[in-house]
Amino acid sequence: MKAARFGLFFLVAAIVAIVLLLLIPDEITRGHLGLLMLGLIVVAILLGFPTAFTLMGLGMVFGFFAFHREGQPIFSNPVFDQMVLRTFGVMTNDVVISVPLFVFMGYLIERANIIDRLFRSLQLAMVRVPGSLAVATILTCTVFATATGIVGATVTLMGLLALPAMLRAGYDVKLSAGVITAGGCLGILIPPSVMLILYGATAQVSVVKLYAGALFPGLMLAGLYVLYAIARAMINPALAPKPPAEERDVPFGEVARMLATSVLPLAVLITAVLGSIVAGIATPTEAAAVGALGAILLALGYRRLTWGRLEESVILTARTTAMVAWLFVGSQLFSSSFALLGGQSLLEGWVRSLDMTPIQFLLLSQTIIFLLGWPLEWTEIIVIFVPIFLPLLHHFGIDPLFFGILVALNLQAAFLSPPVAMAGFYLKGVAPPHVTLGQIFAGMMPFMLIQLFAMLLLYLFPAIGMWLPKVLYS
Amino acid sequence: MNRYLLAIDRLNAKVGKAFAWCIVGLTAMVCYDVVVRYLLRAPTSWGLDVSLMFYGALFMMAGGYTLSRNGHVRGDVLYRFLSPRVQASLDLALYVLFFIPGIAALAWFGIGFASDSWAMLEQSQTTSNGLPVYPLKTVIPIAGGLLLVQGIAEIVRCAICIRTGEWPVRLQDVEELDVEEMKADLAQAQKANAGK
Repeated sequence: MKAARFGLFFLVAAIVAIVLLLLIPDEITRGHLGLLMLGLIVVAILLGFPTAFTLMGLGMVFGFFAFHREGQPIFSNPVFDQMVLRTFGVMTNDVVISVPLFVFMGYLIERANIIDRLFRSLQLAMVRVPGSLAVATILTCTVFATATGIVGATVTLMGLLALPAMLRAGYDVKLSAGVITAGGCLGILIPPSVMLILYGATAQVSVVKLYAGALFPGLMLAGLYVLYAIARAMINPALAPKPPAEERDVPFGEVARMLATSVLPLAVLITAVLGSIVAGIATPTEAAAVGALGAILLALGYRRLTWGRLEESVILTARTTAMVAWLFVGSQLFSSSFALLGGQSLLEGWVRSLDMTPIQFLLLSQTIIFLLGWPLEWTEIIVIFVPIFLPLLHHFGIDPLFFGILVALNLQAAFLSPPVAMAGFYLKGVAPPHVTLGQIFAGMMPFMLIQLFAMLLLYLFPAIGMWLPKVLYS
Repeated sequence: MNRYLLAIDRLNAKVGKAFAWCIVGLTAMVCYDVVVRYLLRAPTSWGLDVSLMFYGALFMMAGGYTLSRNGHVRGDVLYRFLSPRVQASLDLALYVLFFIPGIAALAWFGIGFASDSWAMLEQSQTTSNGLPVYPLKTVIPIAGGLLLVQGIAEIVRCAICIRTGEWPVRLQDVEELDVEEMKADLAQAQKANAGK
């Protein structure tokens, strides 16, 4: 409580300081107002007001001054019409329209209650691999998080399902917590992810290319997690004891049957959705709608579709869509006011004057995004900061597609950075009482390092991400 | 007072949940479009317009409901550790400074925007004989008005909280993370599997 008070005091002091600092020059140019906007946005968001309306409010206030002419009546100011026009722009945005469809598909799959089958069959399939439970957990998370895209639900469900199983089998607490939290976060990176749609809509990059580009980095990350778990189990078997012999001896036919009824339907659904998008057969919107229909059929097939569950999915979809789309409305107004005040060109001039190499710029921008990922949600970072960095990419000759894949990987790491990593809190919420938050965070650290390593790999070998889009679309 | 606040919650919940079903319409519309385009080779000219209407109405009309459920994302790293009184004071100031100007503009200037469209019976530009645009534009002032009403209810809630030091109750319904329900579901699934 005391620390929070101090933090608040610090924020208010920062706001006052920023305002004073920028208002001191004799003549306040419009560009100054633009920079003021940029300086205020981070601190204003941290005041805890719903971000969509913080952006909208700053956009309105600064837009008002940007448009204001001497002697103009207050309500003739064009900023009010801008508000309406920008909102209508989001209502007719043919990229964002796929967000509710993917979200709907995710909630339907989540509520179909198939994660238990998924985990059980993968566990049997992996039984001969060192650290079999940890590997099965990562694979379950990958499949489930990819299909649903919901981090909170994946981590919570696996916390209820896989954590007790691993602890019962004598697994190390940190390793168990690490695989669940890291695996659960994969859903925001591996396509079809809503984050990439939002990046595409903000940066005017084709979502299809982004999906193709993020596919291999996402799978690579999942693969690195698996390798890490296996290596740990081989080096120190005490961390991940082998299952008893009688459990290891499961007939192959039995395992195949279980995989066919659990992993296969979901894998077919994801592959069909993703494959049709990447192959250019269907637009993301079309694939998402067919995917949602497929999810309804899947839930029906597992006899899990009740009227109540459908209604819950519908309502949760509406709330999540409203959250994302209103955030987009706010950011649209914010960026139009920012551009109108010339803040962008001032910032560009400043960055150019720093005379950075492209590598330095890439490092700087990714570090800023990583640090922002600590207090902010990925949705906020994408809609606010990506538009600011984007015009600079051209100057440094960086492909916005490549930048987007780096950002997506980067935000994974931010998701796992203590002490505000949400994944850790979701797990703590359902873990047995003896599992401490400290252990969970300690378990997340190696996976964060793996993510940084993955970013380094992607940077050194851009083809990991860029090869597939290049082959398919050039 | 609380009775009126809860009545506003209920109003927005009703509207939001009713329009939430647009997602089913959107899914059906796009799927239908896919079938006629890829299987029958006879794409509709109106599919995109209808889809946009479903999507636009969905998120706009759910805005007030989402606000009533505190569902809009917040940068709450600090906020969640503050006392309710400090939270309410911050919120109150920012509702007036940030929320009201934009949303009131949406509600008020949205009327002119929509009525202009009605006056010329505006049609969509996607095809030569496009669908009417005015229904979708009419959504703007209505959704703006609903959000404004919910915002005023939230302002009153802030005022009450500043006086009493406690947040007044709000309407609850389905949660994104219902741990009890998840536990029950998993137990049921495990029992079904063990029975085999």
